[in-house]
Amino acid sequence: MTDMLAPSVPAKPARRRWSLPWYVTASLFWVGLMLITAVFADLLMPHSFTALDLKYRLVAPFQSLAHPLGTDELGRDVLSRLIVSIRISLLIAFGATLISAVLGTTLGFLAAHFRGIVEQIVLVLADFQAAMPFLILALSVLAFFGNSLPLLVGLMGLYGWERYARIARGLAIAASAQGYATAVSQLGAKPGRVYLRHILPNIASTLIVSMTLVFPEVILLESGLSFLGLGVQPPMTSLGNMVGYGREYITRAPWIMLTPSVVIVLTTLAISLLGDWLRDRLDPTIR
Amino acid sequence: MIRYIASRLLRAALTIALVVTFAFIVLRLSGDPATIILGPEAPPEAIEAFRHNWGLDRPVLVQYFDYFRAILRGDLGISMRDGRSAIELVGERIPATLALTIPALFLQLAIGIPAGVYAALHQGTAFDRTVMVSAVFGFAIPSFVLALALVLVFSVKLGWLPSGGRDSWMHAILPILTLGLGGAAALARFTRSAMLEVLGRPFIRTASAKGLPWAAVVRGHALPNAAIPTVTLVGFLVGSLIAGAVVVESVFSWPGVGRLLVVAVSNRDLAVVQCLLLLVAASMVTSNLIVDFLYGVLDPRLRQGARAGA
Amino acid sequence: MSAPLLSLNEVTRTYTSRKGLFGTPVAVQAVAGVSLEVRPGETLGIVGESGSGKSTMGRMALGLEAPDSGSVRFDGAAMPDPGSESWRSLRKRAQMVFQDPLGALDRRLPVADQIGEPLEIHGIGDKAARAAAIARSLEMTGLSADHGRRFPHELSGGQRQRVIIARALITDPELLVCDEPVSALDVSIQAQVVNLLIDLQAERGLAMIFISHDLRVVRQISQRVAVMYLGHIVEEGTAEEVLRDPQHPYTRALVSAAPVPGARQRQRVILTGEPPNPAARPSGCAFHPRCPLATDRCRAEMPVLTRLAPGRRAACHLIQHTPAGMAAK
Repeated sequence: MTDMLAPSVPAKPARRRWSLPWYVTASLFWVGLMLITAVFADLLMPHSFTALDLKYRLVAPFQSLAHPLGTDELGRDVLSRLIVSIRISLLIAFGATLISAVLGTTLGFLAAHFRGIVEQIVLVLADFQAAMPFLILALSVLAFFGNSLPLLVGLMGLYGWERYARIARGLAIAASAQGYATAVSQLGAKPGRVYLRHILPNIASTLIVSMTLVFPEVILLESGLSFLGLGVQPPMTSLGNMVGYGREYITRAPWIMLTPSVVIVLTTLAISLLGDWLRDRLDPTIR
Repeated sequence: MIRYIASRLLRAALTIALVVTFAFIVLRLSGDPATIILGPEAPPEAIEAFRHNWGLDRPVLVQYFDYFRAILRGDLGISMRDGRSAIELVGERIPATLALTIPALFLQLAIGIPAGVYAALHQGTAFDRTVMVSAVFGFAIPSFVLALALVLVFSVKLGWLPSGGRDSWMHAILPILTLGLGGAAALARFTRSAMLEVLGRPFIRTASAKGLPWAAVVRGHALPNAAIPTVTLVGFLVGSLIAGAVVVESVFSWPGVGRLLVVAVSNRDLAVVQCLLLLVAASMVTSNLIVDFLYGVLDPRLRQGARAGA
Repeated sequence: MSAPLLSLNEVTRTYTSRKGLFGTPVAVQAVAGVSLEVRPGETLGIVGESGSGKSTMGRMALGLEAPDSGSVRFDGAAMPDPGSESWRSLRKRAQMVFQDPLGALDRRLPVADQIGEPLEIHGIGDKAARAAAIARSLEMTGLSADHGRRFPHELSGGQRQRVIIARALITDPELLVCDEPVSALDVSIQAQVVNLLIDLQAERGLAMIFISHDLRVVRQISQRVAVMYLGHIVEEGTAEEVLRDPQHPYTRALVSAAPVPGARQRQRVILTGEPPNPAARPSGCAFHPRCPLATDRCRAEMPVLTRLAPGRRAACHLIQHTPAGMAAK
């Protein structure tokens, strides 16, 4: 495993400069902003996200310099809560997408390598996963196990694995049929080397595109669960959590609910636009 | 065709069996039911008696088969909340959910399919672009945000429609709109691409080269062929309607199974959750069977097989 | 005469294929009881049409596939099971060259890295030693260091095949199996690659199995030739003998299609009838439907591969009772 990712071929060397469509530039800008917010949340927060300021309750946005996005009914700063929520929601979505990509790719490789019964089991599980609405499965697990952040991340990590599994299996079988994988194993390489050093880098672009397509769905799923009060639990907060909480003040203080809603919509929109664009650019064969 | 139907039925049965297994595993992993139900301070003799009564002291595999048999008999347990049978509790909520999901499904079909077909036939026009943009937004806007936005506009600001409850048909409008709009956008996008793919095939060019009027080509050749892939989307729509109903019923305080699920999960009312899980699995399996059947009817290759094979 | 490096003894390989999930499985015998030997430093050519089982023979000779019955011995020891640890370490002693060099290379890695990969896999040498070995391999196969830095798609077909050969030879193997190594290349490039193989074989005393459908190419490179038809060897001998005086009607047809310079020009024998289909093997002698000389006996009874002279064998009823070199006409 010396230089697994170092030398990579540009997919189409002829196309040097990509002129980005405006919506891609805008999406990149937004995603970048979100990432910076998530990473530097501690520095960017004007207040502690749990700090109460009972003198300033239900302050509307743009009314006070101390609370630029207003406060909720306990006087907590909406901007600070928003920044923490972005961090938590993105963290869960990142963790979950990574788990699901690793899990799915591994299962797909196992299916491609062993074929036979292993492959059948993986395919039946993938069919099952695709046939059941994931929100319902997630809710049932939460009902039985109660709730905690690691459990939530792990649970979300089961979302979408079947897509990576199908892709990885299909591409690994195709790679073996193509010959380079066979050729390397005929040189005496162990399966681990064949899959990690040769097949994985060759299908990485397809997997990355799928990750960008699954990522916004995980954000939606987590915010849905948190909105229902079954995801991230207080005092922790996430975007869905904030919307669910602000819903009770929809008549008096709609901004509590609107700001996180806008962030959810813009983030999923930006990432899925990027994903679609990447797919069209790198790999038009998926879906 | 018989083999086709048989293999689909087998797959449906397998899915149900997997859901039951899933429920059993999750139930067993979640802790000792005796301590959960009797509480941690229950005397050891009581726990022992409970375990014996419910067969919890027997091998796991035996318990698994007992569990399976009980479910096949329709014995889904008793709600820990109000002591009624879970099936009864769930059953009385079903009509309310159907009152939302069925109109929403029709709304999706009524908007999504014509919009997708029209966009494909007028590719590149302002209408086409509007459809594509709303499809992208339809995906990015979660149903609870859409629901709250509708409440904000139509209940809070305009005061036209009620924001929750189930007292009149007026109360159903916003929930149905919420459920219908998101799915309609996805359906329009899918119909559009299915239609465009069909329009690009050589037989369409042949048909219009023969001198058939364009409307006849579309009606006679393009639409039936584009319908085949579109039908497969119905299974997905049903799944997203079920998931959507959970959220939408909670937002609009609509007394359906979705809200029941959220309440049951918060209360850890396991019997009710398990019953709902099976209900969802059954509806998914049924709708997938219907899709498979429709697919078989629509796809001439499978229909031919029916005549020759049966 | 030295001991054989590789010997295949009565090996059989049958594939089962089924149509659809519930279809009845059909057994296809790719190789049916074949025995062959390869001595160190010797090149054996295997000639046959597609479906003759020659590629399966090559795979079994390398141990990539285990025969269903019979045995393969390499350097006096039984061939280990595919995938086992001893099988893996044997890979550095026996290598393969493929028909499609582009398919056999990872399009994401510079070719020099891929040439050195067998050294990494088998843990041979340190980083500097590997780099030196790669440089030597490149030079030996007529490639420059610059070629080594390129990606497979930036090389020509002939250069790619040189890369495959360089990779195959970097561990200094004793046996090289070439399966149709030049049939995907332009005719002008074919000669260069064949000459390279001839030179390398002579320099390093490699044993080689050269599989091809093209007798002309096999003739250039092989000391001995085995002709295969539907899973059987129908004729075997030195390249010289087989080409100058083919005994089996099938070999005769092949030879007449590829005239040898200086040899007595025979009447051209043209093969007619269906090309062989291993799934529907004819009764008796598998070649009888296409044989101009077939008799009733050929249709009913399978001829046995019979020794005609030392190192010379053929399987045909018509030459059973005639002295070698005097085939019935």
